[in-house]
Amino acid sequence: MSDTEEPQQKTVIGISYGNSNSSIAFTGPDGKAEVFANEEGDRQIPSVLSYVGDEEYHGAQAKSHLVRNPKTTIAYFRDFLGKSFADIDPTNAHASAHPIQHDSGVAFSVEEKAESGLSTLTVSEITTRHLRRLQESAADFMGKPIDGCVITVPTDFSESQRKLLVEASKAGGLEVLQIINEPVAALLAYAAREETSHPADKTILVVDIGGTRTDAAVVASRGGMYTLLATQHDYELGGRQFDDALIDHFSKEFIKKHKTDPRSNERSLAKLRLECENTKKTLSLSTSSQISVESLADGIDFSSSVNRLRFDMLTKKSVDQIVALVESVVKKAELDLMDINEVILAGGSSHTPKIASRINQIFPASTVVQAPSTMPTALNPAELCARGAAIQASLIAEFEAEDIEQSTHPAVTVTPHLAKSLGVVIAAPEGDAGKAEDKVYVFLESETAVPARRTATFVGSKTGGDILIKIVEAKRESVDVTPPKEEKVNGVDDEDEDDDDDDDEEDIKIFKRVTEVERVLAEALLKDVKKGAKIEVMLNVAGDLTLTLTARVVGSQGGVRGTIPGSAL
Amino acid sequence: MNVVATSHSLPPAEPEWVHEGSFHILEQLSKPVHRNLEPVGPHYLAHARRKRHHRTFSEDDR
Ligand SMILES: Nc1ncnc2c1ncn2[C@@H]1O[C@H](COP(=O)(O)OP(=O)(O)OP(=O)(O)O)[C@@H](O)[C@H]1O
Ligand SMILES: [Mg+2]
Repeated sequence: MSDTEEPQQKTVIGISYGNSNSSIAFTGPDGKAEVFANEEGDRQIPSVLSYVGDEEYHGAQAKSHLVRNPKTTIAYFRDFLGKSFADIDPTNAHASAHPIQHDSGVAFSVEEKAESGLSTLTVSEITTRHLRRLQESAADFMGKPIDGCVITVPTDFSESQRKLLVEASKAGGLEVLQIINEPVAALLAYAAREETSHPADKTILVVDIGGTRTDAAVVASRGGMYTLLATQHDYELGGRQFDDALIDHFSKEFIKKHKTDPRSNERSLAKLRLECENTKKTLSLSTSSQISVESLADGIDFSSSVNRLRFDMLTKKSVDQIVALVESVVKKAELDLMDINEVILAGGSSHTPKIASRINQIFPASTVVQAPSTMPTALNPAELCARGAAIQASLIAEFEAEDIEQSTHPAVTVTPHLAKSLGVVIAAPEGDAGKAEDKVYVFLESETAVPARRTATFVGSKTGGDILIKIVEAKRESVDVTPPKEEKVNGVDDEDEDDDDDDDEEDIKIFKRVTEVERVLAEALLKDVKKGAKIEVMLNVAGDLTLTLTARVVGSQGGVRGTIPGSAL
Repeated sequence: MNVVATSHSLPPAEPEWVHEGSFHILEQLSKPVHRNLEPVGPHYLAHARRKRHHRTFSEDDR
């Protein structure tokens, strides 16, 4: 490929826009997405703006002003976009500029310049300024102006919120090519790593544990296309709860020694919060961490340490809540935990080892849990959204606006999906009672968007002769495959919350998911197949649900072809 | 076109095939569920292109 005379290639970026942090990524000429650091060296750029003196501070600098200048520091505003004042929860903005009611919804009232008096900054305006700063950092890094971006938002962002975000970005001179859902961006970041052009069908759970909220989504990935099956959110669960646990812990220690509560003074609390967040991050990598805060309260310096075990105890309730959210969203998707092939942990808090290990524990060993502490090859969870957005941006960079508009229109996105898995009956392996083996080879999983087709080859029968191809709808069932063992008398104290030692393994039953026939749709006869011959079978389901089977012996003419007409949709 | 090579075998046609022809329909597919595909990623874009231009897989293969 020659890239010498590329006609003015567009420079596009991906932006992850969070309540706590934002990040920017681009896709290099090698097709790899990369998150880049701003001028201060941060890849996770706090979504904070601060007005001090005549200056506007952004990112980490602005965040540090939460200690000295909380009234003119604006933070945690993303979720306020497009909401009415009555509908927001201002709790997170408690220690920064307070949201106020405004004709357009929510605004902040801050003095932008010294002695200039208060000005009213709407959430849209703040968003514009924040995105403009991100765009400047990106342009700085790329050494050229940015032509467009893809921005990620949570799945529960409404259409009007998305529209406002596009407008806010535009107002700052940054064209939005597309707004995409965070969990899908995370999936795309992982999918881009796979070398194959035919990704395996999987059902994936994305758990995004951020600073102020936790979002979970069950996604069907079929032929590389994604469908959300269920989503769930907790707006009071995130990294802040982990910070709070440390704040309380150290405050109690401080009170014991000095009879004063650092939480009762705003500035002391802000200082302690910043330091506790750092301590928490250190604990993701090391088993113990120091904390020291100069002049924490009443002019007294504070220093102490905490180990991971202690931290895990302090945060157990929050981790329990995350696990409960995971179980609940899978149930909402009407699936079993065993149906989840892969878990992707996203968001900064997913660095926490205990969160990953607890989630890992509730899934069977075959389920891959993508997190730094459970999978050495996992991507940085805090970077997934921005990477995915950058990948999508590079895919549509050269599209006309109208093309993008049409491709994302419900007329194209709303698609019939298979209600049941489709496959063919396979012969039971020899000598097997058939108890815990798949009875069906699944071609198309349920939740596959149509049109779709799959092709597979089989080995003909051992004896030769006529072969039967039974096209069926299949279901998955759990079969108890616990190996039999000597009888044991058991106490009654099981069913308890898991503690950290798993030594009562005797009670663990092992289940296997196997495919069973649910309904036979059609039968096809393939005549005179030689012993051991290879048979190629294709199932093709058209947009109107017409199913076509084609089967033939590999290397021969003819074969069998049949069609089940589509039902009216 | 992608072909998955399985090691499964297909059952013999026993007892004898009694239907006319070599393809026999018993039932139709279950009613589909209408859902929203996420308009993201290379495979979706290919899907959208086919759908918008009313092209089939085989036409797309060429
Ligand atoms: N290494 C780490 N270990 C533990 N927690 C971390 C680590 N790095 C970041 N975090 C936490 O992750 C949270 C931020 O997550 P993220 O960057 O995903 O934010 P976000 O998407 O803007 O969050 P939200 O919108 O939920 O507020 C913060 O609470 C931060 O302390
Ligand atoms: Mg987030």
